[in-house]
Amino acid sequence: MENSTIPISNSQLAFTVLLVLITGSISSVLRLGLLKPLIWGTVRTFVQLTLVGYALTYIFKINNIWLIILIVTVMCYIASKTAAGRTPNVPDHPLVLSFLSLMASTYLVGSVVTLLIISPDPWYSARIVIPIFGMILGNSMNGIALSLDRLYSEARTRSAEIETLLTLGATPWEAIRDSVKEAVRAGMTPTINSLMVVGLVSLPGMMTGQILGGADPREAVRYQIVVMLMITAAVAICCLIMVGLSHKKLFNRDGALQPFVLQSRK
Amino acid sequence: MLFSFNNITYTFGPGHSNQIKVSGSLAGGEVLVVRGPSGAGKSTLLRVLSRLQPCLSGEGFLNGESWLQMPGSIWRASVHYIAQKPAVFDGTVADNLVKPFEIRAVNGKKAFDPGLAKALMEKLLLASGLWNQDARTLSGGEVARLAFVRALLIEPQVLLLDEPVAALDDKSRKAFYSALSDWLTGLNRGAVLVSHNNDDLEFLHRVSYLDLANRQEGA
Repeated sequence: MENSTIPISNSQLAFTVLLVLITGSISSVLRLGLLKPLIWGTVRTFVQLTLVGYALTYIFKINNIWLIILIVTVMCYIASKTAAGRTPNVPDHPLVLSFLSLMASTYLVGSVVTLLIISPDPWYSARIVIPIFGMILGNSMNGIALSLDRLYSEARTRSAEIETLLTLGATPWEAIRDSVKEAVRAGMTPTINSLMVVGLVSLPGMMTGQILGGADPREAVRYQIVVMLMITAAVAICCLIMVGLSHKKLFNRDGALQPFVLQSRK
Repeated sequence: MLFSFNNITYTFGPGHSNQIKVSGSLAGGEVLVVRGPSGAGKSTLLRVLSRLQPCLSGEGFLNGESWLQMPGSIWRASVHYIAQKPAVFDGTVADNLVKPFEIRAVNGKKAFDPGLAKALMEKLLLASGLWNQDARTLSGGEVARLAFVRALLIEPQVLLLDEPVAALDDKSRKAFYSALSDWLTGLNRGAVLVSHNNDDLEFLHRVSYLDLANRQEGA
């Protein structure tokens, strides 16, 4: 009995409204103006997660490989849209490039994890693939947004140096190399930092979920190690592909900097 | 002919509202002085000639070879532009002088010669004590001369100089022009110069002029 989930009944779930009331009263007493977004957010949380719950139950049951590929691809698309929108320094939202780099890194790292490390039966088991690929995507999405934004802001602040390198005969890659390094570093730093403190400050969400679900903490920890390292690898690959593909957009056909890099940010 | 440009049409000024068409040429050992009032597109012309900025039409030639036949990076190493306020890289003055030799287009041609670098610095009145100084702490006049030394070391054929002496005092201005004249005596070298101070030109031997006085409005 000890090793199983304690189910939350409908009436128990209804008590969470109490929590919303607490947040709501703080918002209205202090006039934070957060009441409307709070209510809307609460409704969305209930609706979205309930739907996802039903959808996942269905998807796990039929467990069709093509459906799984379709779902992961749609997840990549949504993640790339979100990432591309979070880059204030980038003038044209690079949707195609972020989609390509997210697809490449997610499928590569995700396949390594599901095929070699967890190896469920069948290997494409939706119960494993969808949460694993989802975690990879969530983190890679933040990584590419950070690194892409950094690439453009570095190029702007260093434009005089980059142009000087160009006048000395540098190819675009030679001129932008230092900025590329900084950009990849910026994308990877949060993930590397989280490796340092994991388990000390808070328990990661996945591990907490497993433990609440009745899993042995020692088992949950092993999963968490796989997840942390897989996220790190995916973020590194993703940032590298993203920055590697998009640095060319800073240059014109003559290998000179595009005018927008030399002008003030609009 | 060392260097020439035919019917280069380019835009400049606020919102690219001005358009101009120019041609010019440069024989070995010669300096082409670009004259005109402020806002006549002199600096932009130098940037266009170095292919840092695209032009609408026209063609540049180096030793008779069109720039259409050459990658931008190779062209720029030979037709080298020095900005009015040149950039310095992180590190010492020495690091700044070595930096170009990390670039393949330059590195393939020759290796860094510290002796030559020090001799050029001395010629431009840059004290030898500057060698190990942080380049970011140099004055404007020192940076201008450092950029000139850095340019000569990579052995370009054409120098595009945008007001190179604007930040220099009389003494270092003379030193600059004397170093430029010495450099021009080498085989197949020339310079395109934008300068507001016509008195300086007495230091140069063979000078021709390009006037950008006629401002054409509209595109």
